[in-house]
Amino acid sequence: MRRLLVGAAALTMVVAGPVVAQDFPAKDLQGIIQWGAGGSTDVVMRSVTPHAEEVLGADVVMQNKTGGVGAIATKFVYAQKADGYTLLMGAENPQLYKVMGLGDIDYSSFVPIDILARGVPILVAKNDAPYGTLKELIDYAQAHPGEVKVGSTGPGGLPSVVTAMLQSQTDLPMTAVPYDGDGPALTALMGGAIDVMPAVLGAALENIKAGRIKPLAVIETEANPVLPDVPPVTDTLPDIATYLPWGPFFGVFVKEGTPPEAVEKLTAAYRAGAESDDFKKLMDERGYKLMNLSGEEARAFLDRWQSVTSWLVYDAGIAKKSPEEFGIPKP
Amino acid sequence: MTEALSYFTTAWFDPWLLFLIAAGTFAGIYIGAIPGLSVTMAVSILISFTFSWDVNDALCLMVGIFMGGVYGGSRTAILLNIPGAPSAIATALDGYPLAQRGEAGEAIGISTVMSFFGGMVGIALLAIGAPIISDFALTFQPRDYMLLAILGILLVGSLSGESLAKGVVAGAFGMLIGTVGLDPLTAEERFTFGFTELWNGISFVAVMIGLFGVAEALGQLRQLELPAIKQKITRIVPSWASLRRYLPLSLQTSMIGVIIGALPGVGGDIAALMAYDYAKRTVRDPEVPFGKGAREGLVAPESANNAAVGGAFIPMLTLGIPGDAVTAIFIGALFIHGLNPGPMLMIEQPHMFWFMVGNLVLACVFMLIFGLTGIRIFTKIVEIPKGILIPLILLLSVVGAYAVNNSVTDVYWMLGFGVLGYFMKQYGYQVGPVILGVILARLIDENWRRAIISEQEHLGSFFANMFASPLSLVLFAAVVLTVLSQTPVLGWIRRLFRRA
Repeated sequence: MRRLLVGAAALTMVVAGPVVAQDFPAKDLQGIIQWGAGGSTDVVMRSVTPHAEEVLGADVVMQNKTGGVGAIATKFVYAQKADGYTLLMGAENPQLYKVMGLGDIDYSSFVPIDILARGVPILVAKNDAPYGTLKELIDYAQAHPGEVKVGSTGPGGLPSVVTAMLQSQTDLPMTAVPYDGDGPALTALMGGAIDVMPAVLGAALENIKAGRIKPLAVIETEANPVLPDVPPVTDTLPDIATYLPWGPFFGVFVKEGTPPEAVEKLTAAYRAGAESDDFKKLMDERGYKLMNLSGEEARAFLDRWQSVTSWLVYDAGIAKKSPEEFGIPKP
Repeated sequence: MTEALSYFTTAWFDPWLLFLIAAGTFAGIYIGAIPGLSVTMAVSILISFTFSWDVNDALCLMVGIFMGGVYGGSRTAILLNIPGAPSAIATALDGYPLAQRGEAGEAIGISTVMSFFGGMVGIALLAIGAPIISDFALTFQPRDYMLLAILGILLVGSLSGESLAKGVVAGAFGMLIGTVGLDPLTAEERFTFGFTELWNGISFVAVMIGLFGVAEALGQLRQLELPAIKQKITRIVPSWASLRRYLPLSLQTSMIGVIIGALPGVGGDIAALMAYDYAKRTVRDPEVPFGKGAREGLVAPESANNAAVGGAFIPMLTLGIPGDAVTAIFIGALFIHGLNPGPMLMIEQPHMFWFMVGNLVLACVFMLIFGLTGIRIFTKIVEIPKGILIPLILLLSVVGAYAVNNSVTDVYWMLGFGVLGYFMKQYGYQVGPVILGVILARLIDENWRRAIISEQEHLGSFFANMFASPLSLVLFAAVVLTVLSQTPVLGWIRRLFRRA
């Protein structure tokens, strides 16, 4: 009986298979990238997609639609047909739109195809800062309230979230100076315009290796293989582990309501792309953690990320609206 | 040293790479020359193709486009009064009057040679002084950027034409346009009226294409019956004597170009305008007054904007920090090809540095060759009947405005600003100050707030620290001197003392 069932299932797959394959993709796809050419989202998407194209058997024409912290691209893809031919290639930002008052569309209106990778945050300081560890920074900041200038990328950005995490654990009176992104902020750190900066490891890595800035702690529960000597934040603030692992992420999405066959095909293609050696190597070198999550796993990751981060920024007083309004549960 | 030399000449003896640089430069000149098509756009479209290429091939092509494109913008600025790129805005001020006198050939000749010279100065400084210059660029604090931007806004004095008051009005309007969008520091909406399309602000390229391209095209509709100006093309390559005469100015403005180009976030457009202003203030006896076709007004911005190319590569190759929008895309290209741009690049991949320097030199040489050979045909553009030329300009403006962000909204903005620019010109308002305002509004806004936040909002310590930093002090002094020399304030003070 069992064998018969398997046989029947196999038969239906054989019959159904080619039909699906012919159905999707019947033409080239469009990939809308939330951030500009040359940025980290752009680099990730453009390096994974060629491998996915091989599996899909169709081209994905990628286009950068920047602006409004990713909202322009997100709204654009949401306005297209839910046929799986328009992919949203984005970063973590939409998950905070609701509490930051930037709109009502987030990734819950999309189906995750693949959450490709996650960045690891790291706290770095300028070289001539009078502290060399997180503990010393905390002591110094408490002795000189407001004097330590911490780089930020605006409310809801990675630095603001990490700073909120640290401040939820201990008294850390610092002055946040906002920059246009982590690139310009790290430049300012090297020039001494700011003193410390929580950044994504990949962006800070080369400067740390060159000895132009010094790492204080990785915002993880364990040290990162690319910088094994940098202690995890939990060594100093063990309770911060409840928020971890946390980090910015990159993912490919389609609009909700996309036919399951298309989602399946795309998921298989991007999973293969994320498993390719080229992509793995790129992620390792840049200090990103490969995730390659899809389906329920991806959804769970997105929900947890949103709940942790929304409540963090809300409790830190930088959110405009309470996560409760949107039914985002407390972590 | 021999190693460096061999990296430097990698592309020189490789026919394929040589061809790519030549092709890139050639394409760059025309992309730069066509109003609306920009180098940033070309390079960002190209980068998606080059992911599957060999990294050297990709870099050669992109370097060529960059160098050629910055130069190409001057062509249409001179011939049609439509700068093909933001860095050619200053070129139009004296280049177009020269073309109106039938000297377009000579104007393009000067701009080509000076672009070549400026480009070479930029590359030379990149080769010998990159680490020092990039460390210097890093010492610029938010306060210094603010002072630099204020210095920039004072250029309104040079750009406002016959009436300073009208120039100030136009500049202030530009600054208002520049503040639209999400506040860069707090993501608060400003002047967006609830439209998501306005979150990112009004695209400055769309404003530029509208104010220069469309407005000029509409303006020329008023003079349809005027016969086209016959161009005398006797002398294209400038004489040695005239070159010698302009060389000191070119060298000085190239230095301005390199420094401004090396500063992250400030590029060739501001460098060229500052160089023009510098020339206007220091050249005592131009053959023709500035704004009426002074050759010095062509030499200064053209040297500076190509020198800024080398300048932009300085922080990029030494620190992995983009000097402008184009080098930011280069950084992405290096990432994707597994070369980690950053401070370690020069140590781990020394060949990359010298390879790029060698490519830039080649691109500069090709720019000179292609620049000087095509002039005869190019100047004919001015002689094209207006009935064909004007629709063509309008079409290219629409394409260009759309292509910047793939956004139809930008096309509407471009057309709106085109109509506005037409009326501004009719009533004696210059459009240059508007662009200046748009470019600088954000720089001033962000950096003033960063600076004052860094001082924990104490105005006293803001000024105290400003006078403690030599760099800030020099910039502050430059701002004060410019204000005193350009306004009648000094006269008032003198009169006040005489009375007392």
